[in-house]
Amino acid sequence: MASLSYLDPGSGSMLLQIILGGAAAVGVGAKLTWRRLLRTLRIRRDDDDS
Amino acid sequence: MTTTASRTPEPASFRDPEARIVYSPEGEVLRELSPRAQEDWAVLESARFFRRALEDGRIVATEEIAPGLLRHERVPFVSYPYEWPFEMLREAALLQLGLLDEALAEGLVLKDGSPYNVQWRGSEPVFVDVGSFERLRDGEPWAGYRQFCTLFLYPMMLQAYRGIAPQPWLRGSLEGIEPAEARALLPTFRRGVLSHVVLHDRLEAKHADRAKDVRAELKASGFRKELIQANVRGLRKLVERLRPRRGRSTWAGYREAAPYTDEDAERKERFVQEAGHARLAWDLGANDGRFARALDAETVIAVDGEERVVGELYTALRREGSRSILPLVVDLANPSPGLGWRGVERSRLEERGRPDLVLCLALVHHLAIGRNVPFAELVGWLRGLGARLVIEFAAREDPMVERLLSAKRAETHEGYSRDAFERELADAFEVERQEELSAGTRTLYLARPLA
Repeated sequence: MASLSYLDPGSGSMLLQIILGGAAAVGVGAKLTWRRLLRTLRIRRDDDDS
Repeated sequence: MTTTASRTPEPASFRDPEARIVYSPEGEVLRELSPRAQEDWAVLESARFFRRALEDGRIVATEEIAPGLLRHERVPFVSYPYEWPFEMLREAALLQLGLLDEALAEGLVLKDGSPYNVQWRGSEPVFVDVGSFERLRDGEPWAGYRQFCTLFLYPMMLQAYRGIAPQPWLRGSLEGIEPAEARALLPTFRRGVLSHVVLHDRLEAKHADRAKDVRAELKASGFRKELIQANVRGLRKLVERLRPRRGRSTWAGYREAAPYTDEDAERKERFVQEAGHARLAWDLGANDGRFARALDAETVIAVDGEERVVGELYTALRREGSRSILPLVVDLANPSPGLGWRGVERSRLEERGRPDLVLCLALVHHLAIGRNVPFAELVGWLRGLGARLVIEFAAREDPMVERLLSAKRAETHEGYSRDAFERELADAFEVERQEELSAGTRTLYLARPLA
């Protein structure tokens, strides 16, 4: 279950935290981009979660 | 222990329903934890960093007095970020980032990033919102990052990169400066602006209202705490390097320029010392804090309208390790009002603790001539505070008064005279002592409010 905060963390602000994650972020950024690409090409469905 | 019904809720503590502040009938500061917050507390309580921070005073003294009920130390006087000079805002930001970094190492995170989480013991910042710590969940980013930007980072950048004091912005909006506004205000190619401001705004515009999708996406892509740590460390470096840029100040170095001899200053200091002990003193127009330091008071609120002067005073007090003098930026002709929900979430300056001694040195002429506040209004306001008063009056012949008068139409201040001032003062106060300063144009009064 995703835990929701009492604050709206902001979608853009959450994504930005990948870019600000330095070296640790490279893999995460790549995976996120890859997943988006697959979704765009309709190889993966929106609600796939792994 | 008190029953739930007899506790009074703190009006500023409704935003996070998991850990609300209430007051016991005896005035103790209590925090009621929801079942979920109790689980977070159990982890926090045993965290090493938390024990350390309690010991060195970076986190407010806290004890669990019953299951789900915490009792906190009471800070001497509540203040708000729009009353802090740049140096205090930076210090509060660094305290918060430091604690967050230590918390992350032990699997905890802050659920927000607000300067309202910080208060002061004199010049020493103290993190008061223990309810802000929660367990870090897998794949979750720092929910408080955006708030840190809007309430800490952008206001500081505004002053560091543009020379614009952020206090009026913070007072104008309790949510701070939005990324889109910051982007319009700040120069793109200064340190940290491209990423924390420009990119922030672009991503926000592009991904508005997709919080749920983005959360799932981050989690699935393996977002982990090392990314938050890298961001927090980057922010610390960035904030440490920010320096306030300020325009020319009228009153910095005022004591040097003022027409006092050293002997006068010493007499004034003695006069202040002889005013006796105070629990809470207000020094209005504190300037470099010389007379605030001379007071025999447990807590002194040293107020000045010039952000730069207060910033310099804060830096000096911090170096001295003062735990009794709290410097604040307040324009007395426009002091902090009630703000936020129903106008009570952030309270008026006068409502946050009544002084038992008020210093009003070298101030009357600035308000009476500079801001056209009539003597009757000024004395009436001081009377309303109900405290003993040390007040200084500068006559028309005083060089500083002459300087202020020279900028105004002569008739506007025809009534500015010592006789007129003393008449108003005598209507509301009983003057116990008065002393002429040797320059002959200034008089000190020690007065007690009339019943």
